[in-house]
Amino acid sequence: MAALGCLFGVFALVVAACGSDSSGGGSSGGAKVSGSSLTVYSSLPFQGTSKGQSTAVQQGEKLALKQVNNKVGKYTIKYKSLDDSTAQNPGTADEGQTAQNARKAVQDKSTVFYLGEFNSGGTKVSLPILNKAGIAQISPSNTAVGLTTNEAGADPGEPQKYYPAKTRTYARVVPKDTIQGAALATVMKEDGCKSVHIFNDKTTYGAGLAKNISSSAKQQGLTVEGNDGTDKNAPNYRSLAQKVKADCFVGSGVTGENYIQVFKDVAAANPSIKLYGPDGVAEEAFTNPKKGGIPASVGARTKITVATLGLDEFKKRNNAEAEKFFADFKSTYGTSKPDPYAIYGYETMKLALDTLKAVGAKANDRKAVVAQLVGKTKGRNSVLGTYDIDKNGDTTLTDYGLYTVGKDGLPSFQKVLKAQK
Amino acid sequence: MEAASVNQPVAARPGTSARVRDLLSKYGLIALLAALPVYYGISDLVNDGNLSRLGENVVAGLSNGAIWVLVALGYTLVYGIIELINFAHGEVFMIGSFVSFSLYGTLGLTLATGPLGLVVGLLVTLIVAMVTCGVLNVMIERVAYRPLRNAPKLAPLITAVGFSFILQNVGVLWQGGSQRGITDLIDAQKVLFTVVGVSVSRADLLAIAVTIPLVFLLTAFVGRSRLGKAMRATAQDPEAARLMGINVDTTISLTFLLGGLLAGAAGLIYALYQTQIWYFQGFTAGLIAFTAAVMGGIGNLRGAVVGGLIIGIIQQISDNRDPTGLGPELTPAIVFFYLVIIMVFRPQGLIGEETREAG
Repeated sequence: MAALGCLFGVFALVVAACGSDSSGGGSSGGAKVSGSSLTVYSSLPFQGTSKGQSTAVQQGEKLALKQVNNKVGKYTIKYKSLDDSTAQNPGTADEGQTAQNARKAVQDKSTVFYLGEFNSGGTKVSLPILNKAGIAQISPSNTAVGLTTNEAGADPGEPQKYYPAKTRTYARVVPKDTIQGAALATVMKEDGCKSVHIFNDKTTYGAGLAKNISSSAKQQGLTVEGNDGTDKNAPNYRSLAQKVKADCFVGSGVTGENYIQVFKDVAAANPSIKLYGPDGVAEEAFTNPKKGGIPASVGARTKITVATLGLDEFKKRNNAEAEKFFADFKSTYGTSKPDPYAIYGYETMKLALDTLKAVGAKANDRKAVVAQLVGKTKGRNSVLGTYDIDKNGDTTLTDYGLYTVGKDGLPSFQKVLKAQK
Repeated sequence: MEAASVNQPVAARPGTSARVRDLLSKYGLIALLAALPVYYGISDLVNDGNLSRLGENVVAGLSNGAIWVLVALGYTLVYGIIELINFAHGEVFMIGSFVSFSLYGTLGLTLATGPLGLVVGLLVTLIVAMVTCGVLNVMIERVAYRPLRNAPKLAPLITAVGFSFILQNVGVLWQGGSQRGITDLIDAQKVLFTVVGVSVSRADLLAIAVTIPLVFLLTAFVGRSRLGKAMRATAQDPEAARLMGINVDTTISLTFLLGGLLAGAAGLIYALYQTQIWYFQGFTAGLIAFTAAVMGGIGNLRGAVVGGLIIGIIQQISDNRDPTGLGPELTPAIVFFYLVIIMVFRPQGLIGEETREAG
């Protein structure tokens, strides 16, 4: 009996040793998926202020999958949706929950793609876990520079620290913040700003973007009077707002980091200041006073940049993919006016499916999928226009949309911004 | 003999130390509290040629502090009578804000509401928020603390923490986990008048105008009424109070009711002042208010008032002075630095404890 116990103990140790992995399980490198069923995970924040955008992304993803009847070649594609936010930390990716989601995908032997996160701070957590397991990842919305390059705006050690497997497994369909920073500086200059004061939410996204805005603004001849971090837990920012003396203000943060209050307090302390926000606040929860967003009087003074363009803009460009998207979206969801993020969700899934299609029978080989996604996505005709995914995983698209707050409280597209880098 | 000679010089040292401590306790703390405003006052005079910036800090500090005062009074009342840190008190205050916000909708209070409708509506909101929080606090006492009256002190402390989490989650379920911007019914930051360069906003006036009468009413109630006397007797010696015919349980419930009423009022003022509410607001406010109560002298009503106002002013000065080294990020450290120094040299708080232990 004792011998049996010892044997069992040794067996357990061997199993434990084989299974142990600092990233929470899964093998290193790209394993082949057995069977004819492949799984695509989607991880987005469904609680709090980002719910609307996440739902739009998810609608787009599901639509793309529906168009191919969940089939790519001989493989059936299963779609699993995960929530990376929590009730206590809504509106953004909760780091613990995000890590849990990534580990879940890693532990699932049929996983070939992971779509997400919505927030750059979340991807910072999930990317190393997925990279180690060789799983291809595409984000519909990440803009933080450091996720893919070490250009201005990145922190020390970025982006290498996100790729422990030393290979690139991540791509995104929106331009990085180097472009958004330049876009914001461009619009401020067009509006006659001479000086700008920046607040950032101290997240990967907000702090990184603030650096990009600052450097672009300086390049374009604007005086940067300050770049201050804000604390999400502060009840108000009146003291901080009082020190803003510039003629223009950028709130480089996301709604969930208390940026409604930031904009309200800066606007109240500086009645004539022009207000600018990035894609992190381009949502109804921020723009619509009826949904607890900024008051209409503040909204009237606010301009927002987002990597999404207006629906009419897509139509204007005679993009056949876009035409198909709008038609299918209407027949599936009953509206021809989807949230712009639905387009990015759609393209994210389309890119994943086309990548699987391109590798054909090797769609079950994670290594082949990753090599196709990051190395061979060239001249892709998509709903967003024609683009490449470069060797870092970045899109070559550079267009940004300028939005104001419409009378209905929704972000309203004004024009395409051609950023002067 | 040997022992005595060994002890003699040692005994002399505490005497000197005690004298120094006494001096520091009497004058050092006053100097310490005055240091920040005096330093920045001189700085403002040199840089701006006037004291209006410091004046604005003080006014904003007093109005912010007024909210902490109302919450701190709840902590100090409860601690004074049953020596319990009611960790759930901050969350009762949060519920006060949530109830107030919900009543905006029920009563139809919007930006379009006229001045009379607004005053009446806000008065109704104030009363409902106060009563709701008062009743809630009494219920918490009945469910979580009363059954543990004779249990080790740790037991009610843990149930208090438990209730704090329960109420936080009620808040999450009720209004979600994000900060929720709410209608600025009173145009909170609108300047009402300016005196010698110091502007006073509507929010400042509201906070002070609601807090002062409530504090006077509470002080009068505790000091002069029959029930107030029962509260003080229970605080001094519950057993003796019971022998004298005082219903101790009812008196304790009354204390929780008063604390809850004040928390409800603070909840409405906070909602109007900050124009946003959040399930986590009670945690932060509770921590600050409890610090205020300890700083002033736990169990002492005047102490809670003094502590709350001092913390409010320190916060505002620190928040507003980041080019000179301070700033919002350092504010909690500055506040707790003051608390530590005060506790070291005056453990009973600025005004002095009024608890059974303190006598």
